Amino acid sequence: MSTELLLELSEVTAGYGKMPVLHGVSIKCHRGEIVTLLGANGVGKTTTLRTILGQLKPRDGEIKFNGADITRLPPHKTAALGVAHSPEGRNIFGNLTVIENLRAGAHLLKTRKELKEHLDRVYSMFPRLKERRTQIAGSLSGGEQQMLAMGRALMSNPRLMLLDEPSLGLAPQLVKLVADTLTEVNRTGTSVLLVEQNARLALEISRYGYVMEKGAIALEGNAKELGANEQVKKVYLGIA
Amino acid sequence: MTYFIQQMLNGVCWGSILAMLGAGYTMTFGIIGLVNFAHGEIFMAGAFAAYFALHVAGLPFGVAAVLGILGAIAIGLLVERIAFRPVRGSGMITLFITSFAASIGIRTLFVMLFTDRAKPFSMPAFLKGAYLIGDLFIFKKTIAVVIVLVVVGALLMYLVKKTKTGIAMRAMSYDSETAQSMGINTEKIIIITFIIASALAGVAAIMWGVSYGRIRSSMGMMPVVDAFIASVIGGLGNVFGAIVGGLILGIGETLFVAYLPPELIGLRTLFVWIVLFIIIIVKPSGLFRANVK
Repeated sequence: MSTELLLELSEVTAGYGKMPVLHGVSIKCHRGEIVTLLGANGVGKTTTLRTILGQLKPRDGEIKFNGADITRLPPHKTAALGVAHSPEGRNIFGNLTVIENLRAGAHLLKTRKELKEHLDRVYSMFPRLKERRTQIAGSLSGGEQQMLAMGRALMSNPRLMLLDEPSLGLAPQLVKLVADTLTEVNRTGTSVLLVEQNARLALEISRYGYVMEKGAIALEGNAKELGANEQVKKVYLGIA
Repeated sequence: MTYFIQQMLNGVCWGSILAMLGAGYTMTFGIIGLVNFAHGEIFMAGAFAAYFALHVAGLPFGVAAVLGILGAIAIGLLVERIAFRPVRGSGMITLFITSFAASIGIRTLFVMLFTDRAKPFSMPAFLKGAYLIGDLFIFKKTIAVVIVLVVVGALLMYLVKKTKTGIAMRAMSYDSETAQSMGINTEKIIIITFIIASALAGVAAIMWGVSYGRIRSSMGMMPVVDAFIASVIGGLGNVFGAIVGGLILGIGETLFVAYLPPELIGLRTLFVWIVLFIIIIVKPSGLFRANVK
């Protein structure tokens, strides 16, 4: 596996209004990796992703992507560099059809040929989306909306996909589909930064992991080591 | 029956003007949540640009029409720059006030510079005259206005429904932040929206000049209210709905007046409000689904 650095957050501090949420977060993601960010509710996982995307401007620290400084880049420029986002709660465009959602995700593609190519790829990953392509996305089931959010993020053929709670509220067989798809996506060259409450699933498919507590990284290590850590076992895996 | 059809035909021009104005209105509202009261002045500015090209510079009608549309776009972008961009994201009431101020400001400026006297807007020769079919007069200008409405309406629907920009506009109208994370440059989409909405007002201005043969500085005041109601009838944010709403309102208003006893003709403006109240009571979301466009 190549160890070239793709994403690097160094000592990032950020927050909403006067409320600081992140207190000097440092995260690294190498090319071709799946990296996971664990932690309880409200410790700053989603805020971390929003800061990387540029939806939130950090107060301090630096974010580098593929060698370039993206610390204060607006979201559409970060996206143009190859960062895609599948947000928590999916945030699909409920007024558009399935295929229009996917075309919105493909906004950065230049040619029709590329569009068709990626559309076919997403349809082959999620055949259900193909069946529902002319349906208004707001009328999809929760699982289908999750597939659509992931498919939409993949349409731009990103270098890095930020994935927020993909398994939230999904039936077990769908969780497995999500995990398999991530592994597949990763094999075809997209790195993934995964935020997940389902720590077992996350550590299974990731190479490296970070544990966040109160806006800072409390623990990090190889996924296998983290999975064996007593504290992680107790708090996040529910094994006494 | 002949009278009825004749009156409908007479209402088509007014309906088409409202349809074009309403479509522009509904786009700025649907995509950036702005009820743009200055839309009527953008329309008026387009008419003046065409008037100057036609009557002062003596340019041919086709060139004047294009310059009219460009004039409307220029004023539209100015409104965006001074009345919208500085207060973007600060809530509907603020936008309401700034666009209202822009409307009054631009209108007053035009009245100061050019007075509010009507100015002639002469039709090109090829639009003069009418065909007599049975007992019906069909004016050439009516045919031209309808053709323009259909062509521009079809182009607009294609743009909004099928193109990348149209999908980006609709995605943005639903969730601007998520749209940005897809690489959609929302600043650019706002500018494009203003350009298109203003161009539609420019088209409406040319339709107006051709239909009524004169323009004036305060000409935007009344149509903009009717056009707003047209877009509410069609479902705010729905381009197709606004076009249908504009036609219903324009033709309906003409018929309303045609069947009113002469001494009650002053009630003409009542019609749009009657329709608005019926819509608000029976189907407040409008005839067509909003937010989809």
